[in-house]
Amino acid sequence: MRDVWRSLVRVTSFLGKELRETARRPGILATLVLGPFLVMLLFGLGYTGVRKPFSTQIVLPANSELPNEPDFYEGLAPGRVDVVEVSTDPQAAEQRLRDRAVDLVVVVPANASEQLRQGKQAEIVVAWNQVDPIYDQLAGLAVSTMVSAINTEIIKQVAAEGIDIAETEMGPEITNVSPELIAQPTTAKTTNVAPSSASVLNFFAPAVLALVIQHLAVTLSALSMVRERLSGQMDLFRVAPVSAIEVLSGKYLAYALLSLFATAAVGAAMIYLLNVPLISGFLLPIGIILLLTFAGLGIGILISLVADSERMAVQLAMLVLVASVFFSGFVLPVEDFIGPVQAVSYVLPVTHAIALLQDSMLRGQLFEPWMLLALAGIGLGLYFLSLFRLSALLRGEGRQSRRRRLVPIFGSRQPSPSE
Amino acid sequence: MTIASLPSAEAAISLEGVSRQFDGLWAVRDLTMDVPPGSILGLIGPSGSGKTTTIRMLTGTLMPTAGTLRVLGQEPSSFSIRDRERIAYMPQSFSLYPDLTAHENVGFVAALYGFSWFGREKRIKRALGMVDMWDKRNRMARNLSGGEQRRLDLACAIVHEPSVLFVDEPTAGLDPMLRQSIWQELRAMRDEGRTMLITTQYVGEADYCDNVALLADGELVTLAPPEGLRRSVFGGDVIHVEADRAVEPGVLVGVAEVTSVRQPAPHQLEVVVDDAGAASPRIAEALKAAGIGVQLLQEYQPSFDEVFTQLVSRQREANGNAANATGNGNGNRKEQTPDA
Repeated sequence: MRDVWRSLVRVTSFLGKELRETARRPGILATLVLGPFLVMLLFGLGYTGVRKPFSTQIVLPANSELPNEPDFYEGLAPGRVDVVEVSTDPQAAEQRLRDRAVDLVVVVPANASEQLRQGKQAEIVVAWNQVDPIYDQLAGLAVSTMVSAINTEIIKQVAAEGIDIAETEMGPEITNVSPELIAQPTTAKTTNVAPSSASVLNFFAPAVLALVIQHLAVTLSALSMVRERLSGQMDLFRVAPVSAIEVLSGKYLAYALLSLFATAAVGAAMIYLLNVPLISGFLLPIGIILLLTFAGLGIGILISLVADSERMAVQLAMLVLVASVFFSGFVLPVEDFIGPVQAVSYVLPVTHAIALLQDSMLRGQLFEPWMLLALAGIGLGLYFLSLFRLSALLRGEGRQSRRRRLVPIFGSRQPSPSE
Repeated sequence: MTIASLPSAEAAISLEGVSRQFDGLWAVRDLTMDVPPGSILGLIGPSGSGKTTTIRMLTGTLMPTAGTLRVLGQEPSSFSIRDRERIAYMPQSFSLYPDLTAHENVGFVAALYGFSWFGREKRIKRALGMVDMWDKRNRMARNLSGGEQRRLDLACAIVHEPSVLFVDEPTAGLDPMLRQSIWQELRAMRDEGRTMLITTQYVGEADYCDNVALLADGELVTLAPPEGLRRSVFGGDVIHVEADRAVEPGVLVGVAEVTSVRQPAPHQLEVVVDDAGAASPRIAEALKAAGIGVQLLQEYQPSFDEVFTQLVSRQREANGNAANATGNGNGNRKEQTPDA
């Protein structure tokens, strides 16, 4: 019983020490709480999710019957194109495109209606000048929408001519079929059955929260053991009757408290100020956050146990952040990566946490509950790796297996001959 | 080199034939000595002589390449929790937390040894009081002077009231006043019955120790009480004589207790005797009988620096001769050990 009590005292010694040290650095506390909160606030207030429409020039044939008002063509792909000019000079338009004065140039063929009447397909030439792959894809989408609308317009014109001929030859009873109906025989009535609205803020807020939690946990703990290893405190631990489990437990508890304190502030701001939905209630997200914090601390503490300088620890922590931004599904969907790279994604705790938090907060249920186990598994794996590494460091080369020293925590202690 | 152990029924610290190699180079070689309970053993030697390596082996951080060590009867590599609770280690450099107060630092170390918040306050007060730091208990460690930080280190080392303390260079870089003050504190702890092994580069600090082990190039040069250390250099007490004219050493031939005579200058003699008190009158009489007037006759107390230099020179000379005899040289010695 005495040994269990003393073991608890040793754990709390690290807990108290870490909390005191952090409290003595108000800058860190402010960064911990205010930093993530400001990130969330800026993101929520500043990100619209609406992409700027493509600045577009339409080139019509000189004798075209198509309208030459920009508003008409903007209406063909609403929100996607901003028609700055309707002209008749394709060379001048191409030069403007190369000069990046416009984003898109659409050249309508001279005889589209005529070719359709003759049963031939006309060719609309569309050009853009993009190196950003995302905008390249979006330009294609905008063009596809607009060309489809232009096709509809041409069909409408030809159909109107056809109906005029039919009325003349077959009588007015044929007029119950309008040219618009012929050109566009179906329309779509859309419904999103998701339990929460698909807004940019709602979708990204849980992901930002997960990223902030992991980053907080990693950066807080990444320096925790480096200083102790470099400044000789590890020598004291080697001689003192303290085990690796006790050191790690104290560190985990202290940094978990600090991380969760900051997370609570950010989470409350997200839910009560930015009105992000929390359909599942608090319990499930809290569980996910605890697991993510556990795993994040594991990354940080392991970094602090392998880094040979504070600079290296900071660099490794930043590397984890960069990898998390790219591979966690935060920016690019995990499914877009090839198999082996997806494996990298799933090694990152934040990948699972983003999916789990989005499901629980925005949909109210987990569609991939195995991710909870994966998150816990990653956390445990990192904990045992850290324990292994710290045990080796504490052991030095002279201290015998820690197994003997761990026994008292769990019960039967082997008495020393000196007692 | 093996030197006879100091007489002790049951040594608190014991080394027998202890050696340690790093990458094939010897940091410590064939060290044998005992430290009686309740005494201070000063491990004195220049930087890189193997002092910290010896302490690390004794605290269980390093394994010896050869030989056996015992602290309180236990092999350091198999210390139990109880054994560790009875020893303390004060590292060479300040190793506490700068953002904690002196009180919090001592409290943290007390908690490492399992003393809960309720039980440790008295111990903290006593430890800080012993090193005269109680009044500065609320100051951040980073705001303490170098000497105060060393004393805080010491307070942390004694807060759990250990039986054996390993103290590595407690006075390094401190001014003479602070060094004296720290030694007073260490001797006060010795007077409470604690056994201490203290390393230092300052040869003059040998006087504060009960026994002194002189290390050079990883080898034990000599192990003796401070007074015995002086005698071991000259082979006995030294009497310094200044005559009123040139004097031949031969005038003292036949004087009882005179072991040897050296003549540093024509008017001066340095006479080695077994007991300076008994031999002084006889030397004075012999000189008077030879018609030589004595201007000064007094016991010569060589400084520990001089003693140390003499002993190390002899050791190196002996090693050199031995190496020349075997043709091996002394190239196996590590120039810079990790404890340097």
